[in-house]
Amino acid sequence: MSGWQTWGLWAAEWIALLVIFTGLLQTFFYVVQLGFAGVALGRRPPIARASLLWRRYADEAPGIAVLAPAFNEEVTIVESVNSLLALHYPDFEVIVINDGSKDRTLETVIGHFGLSKVERFHDAAVKHNPIRGLYASPRLPRLLVVDKENGGKSDALNAGINVARSPLFCSIDADSLLEPDALLRAVRPFVEEPLKTVAVGGTIRIANGSRIEAGQVLDIRMPRNFLALVQIVEYLRAFLMARLALSAMQALTVISGAFGLFQRQAAMEVGGYSHGTVGEDMDLVMKLHGLFRERRQPYRIDFIPDPVCWTEVPESLVILGRQRARWQRGALEVFSRHKKMLFNPRYGRIGFLGMGHVLIVDVLGPIVEVLGYFLVPLLWGLGLLAADYLLAFLAITFTFGIFVSTATLILEEAELRRFPKKRDLAILTAVAVLENFGYRQLANFWRLRGWWQFLRKQQGWGTMTRKGFARP
Amino acid sequence: MSSLAALWFLSLGIAAVALLIMLGLLLARLVLGWTGRARDVEKKRLVPLLLGSRPHGKLRGGERGDLLATILVELIQLVRGSDRDRFVEAATRLGVPERLRHNLNSGSPRVRLAAAEALAEFADEQSVERLHAALGDRSSDVRLSAALSLASVDRTPPARELVDMLGIGTTENSLLTVGLFRDIAASRPDEIKALILDDSVPANAKAAAIEALSASADYALVPLIASLALSSDSEDPALPRYLRALGAFAHPAGEKAVKRGLGNPRWDVRAAAAEAAGKIGLTSLGALLREALADPTWWVRFRAGEALARMGADGAALLRQAAANAPEPGRTAARLTMAERGIG
Repeated sequence: MSGWQTWGLWAAEWIALLVIFTGLLQTFFYVVQLGFAGVALGRRPPIARASLLWRRYADEAPGIAVLAPAFNEEVTIVESVNSLLALHYPDFEVIVINDGSKDRTLETVIGHFGLSKVERFHDAAVKHNPIRGLYASPRLPRLLVVDKENGGKSDALNAGINVARSPLFCSIDADSLLEPDALLRAVRPFVEEPLKTVAVGGTIRIANGSRIEAGQVLDIRMPRNFLALVQIVEYLRAFLMARLALSAMQALTVISGAFGLFQRQAAMEVGGYSHGTVGEDMDLVMKLHGLFRERRQPYRIDFIPDPVCWTEVPESLVILGRQRARWQRGALEVFSRHKKMLFNPRYGRIGFLGMGHVLIVDVLGPIVEVLGYFLVPLLWGLGLLAADYLLAFLAITFTFGIFVSTATLILEEAELRRFPKKRDLAILTAVAVLENFGYRQLANFWRLRGWWQFLRKQQGWGTMTRKGFARP
Repeated sequence: MSSLAALWFLSLGIAAVALLIMLGLLLARLVLGWTGRARDVEKKRLVPLLLGSRPHGKLRGGERGDLLATILVELIQLVRGSDRDRFVEAATRLGVPERLRHNLNSGSPRVRLAAAEALAEFADEQSVERLHAALGDRSSDVRLSAALSLASVDRTPPARELVDMLGIGTTENSLLTVGLFRDIAASRPDEIKALILDDSVPANAKAAAIEALSASADYALVPLIASLALSSDSEDPALPRYLRALGAFAHPAGEKAVKRGLGNPRWDVRAAAAEAAGKIGLTSLGALLREALADPTWWVRFRAGEALARMGADGAALLRQAAANAPEPGRTAARLTMAERGIG
C-alpha cells in the first residue's frame, strides 16, 4: 500500500469515527431527553378544566400584558384582537404594537374598536424606535394600541414591555392563535413558584388543516400537505421531548417567540429583546440565564406541556427552507453571543447541558451529518472504508431517527392523547418513519445554508409569505 | 460481529421496538375507542342517569372506573345547589370517593394530585382522614392540594401545624397559600392572626397570612403589620407585601411604616410604599411622594403619581407644581399622570 493510500485510509476512518461519535452523542442526548420528558410528563399536574383553573387562580394570578406585534396585518388584525380580548384570565391587558405597518393596520384597528389617541405614563428603560402615539378607548379598558416607527419584532416587543404595567408579559407572534385558557395554564409556574419563576414557555401546535373560526381552533384535523405533517412530528419532538426535558433539567435555552410568558422586571434588567439577531427569543432566555447565574440568585425558566398556542407552518419547500435557514442562523448568532457560557462552571447546568445541547445539536449537528452523507458513502465506494463503518453511519442516521420520533409519539399518546382520531396517529407514525428518508437530509442542507448566512453575517428575516388560517 | 455492526443491529432493534409499541397503542385506541368525543358522549349519557331523570336507565358494569370518577367530579364542580347534592349522592353511591381515596396511593403524583383535588367535593369522614394523611405526601403539589381541599370543607389541622407540614414560607411559597389561609381565616381567623405574632413562623408565611387577612377589615391588625414592616430588615423580601397589606387596610396607623418604606434603598419597597400611601390617603406624605416622582425607577414614579392623583385637591396641587417646575423625570411623570387621570 502506497503512502497516500495509507494516509487516505487513516483519514477516512477518522472522519467516519468523528461522524459516528457525534451522531452517537446526539442520540445519547435524545435518549436522555426522552427519559426526562417521560418523567416530567408523568409528574405534571393533571390538565384541569378552565373553570377549575379560574376558581383556583382567580384571586392570586398576577396580571399579564399580552404583547402582540403587528406589521402589515390589516386583513387579520381585528379578528386577532377580538380573539385576544376573549382570553379567559382574571387580570390582563392586550397591547397591540403597530410596528410602522405600510398598510392600513393602524387605521383598521382604530376604526373598528373606536379608539382615540391617549397619553399614558410609561417606562422608557428598554431601547426601541420612537412611539408615535398610543390609542385606547374607555369602552375597552383592556386594549391599548401602540403606534411606533418600524424596527422589527424585537423592537416592537421592547416598546410593549415599556408600555406594559403588569408584572408579567406574554409575547406572541402576529399569527399566533391562543387557546382561550392559555394564560391560565401558562401562569401556573408563576403562581406555584412566584419567587423563582422568571419565564415560562408553552407548547405550540400546528393549526394547518384544522377548522378555525373567530380565532379559535374548533376541530383538530391533520393537514393534507406532507411538509406540514412532517412539521407536526418535528414540533412534537422539539416541544414534547427537547424543551420539556431541558426544562426538567433547568437548562431550557429557548422559549418560542410564538408564545412565552416573562417576568417584566427581569426582562427589563437584561435590556429586553436584542436587536440585530433573528434568534431574539432564544437570546432573551440566554440573557436571563446569564443574569441570574451571575447574581447567584435562584431562578426557574420552565416549559409547560399543556397546549396553549396554535400556529401556521409553511407548506412550500421554498418558504420552509428559508425559515429553517433563519432559525439556524438565529441559533448560531445566540450561541456566538453567549459562547462564554459554554462549559463555564460559573453558569452551571446552562453552561454544560444547555449550551452543550446547542453545540451538539445546532452548531455541529448539521455540519457533521451532511459531511457524513457525502464522505462516508464516498469513502466506502472508493474502498477506503470498511462496510462496518457505513452500516454504523446508516444505523445512527436512520434507525435512531425513527426511534426518537416514534418514541415522542409514544409519549404523546401515552400521556396526552391530543390527537382525537386513530387515523391521525397512524399517519403521524408513518411520517415519523418517512421523514428520515429525504426530508431530514433536506432539512440539514437548509441548516447548512443558515450556517453560510451566519458566516456572511446576513441580516434580516427574508419574506415569510403566509397562506393564512383556513376559514370555514 | 464487530462493535459497529452490533450498533447497527441494536439501533434497528430499538427502532423496531418503538414502532411495535406505537402499533400497540394504536390497537389499544382501536379497542378502547377512547376519544374526547366518546367521552363527551358518555358524559351526556350519564347526566340523566345520575340525575335520576331516566330512572329505568342502568349504569354499565365497566363504568366503575376512573373515567366515571372523572366525569362525576367534573359534573359536581359544574353545578350548584340541589343538582350538586344529587351528583354527590350518586357519586358516593357509585363508590367514587372510595376510588379517589384509593388513587391517593398511586405511584403517579399526577393521579394523587387529581384525587386530592377531587376529594374536596366529598366531606365524608374517611375522605377527610385520607386527605389528612396526604398532607404528608412526598410530593409538595399533592400536600398543598390536600390542604386546599381540607380548607374548602373547613377541616384543616391548626394553621400553625400546617405551616410546618407544608413548609409554608420556606420550601412552599405558592401564591395559593394565601387562598389557603383565607379559607381557614373565614372560620378560624385567630389561627391566622396567631401566625403573624409567632416569631417562629417564616417571614413569607407571615406575609401570606397578612395578605389573607388584608380584606378582613380587622383594623386591630394594622399596628401589628406596621410594626412588622418597621422591624424588618430593608432586604426582607416580605417587606413590599407588608406595605401592600397596609395599603389594603387603608388605615392611617400605617403611616410611619409607609414613610420609612419611601426611603428604602429597594425600588420594589419604595413602589409598594408609594402605592400604600395613595390607598391610605396619607396627604402628610405628599412632599415625599412629589420627590418620588423623580425616582430613578419608573415603577416608583408611576406609583407616586398614582398616589398623588388619589389624594384629591392636595395631591392634584402637588402634581401641578411638579408638572410646572420639577426637573425631569419628575415633570413628565406628573404631566402624564395628570393627563391620564384627567386632572386639569
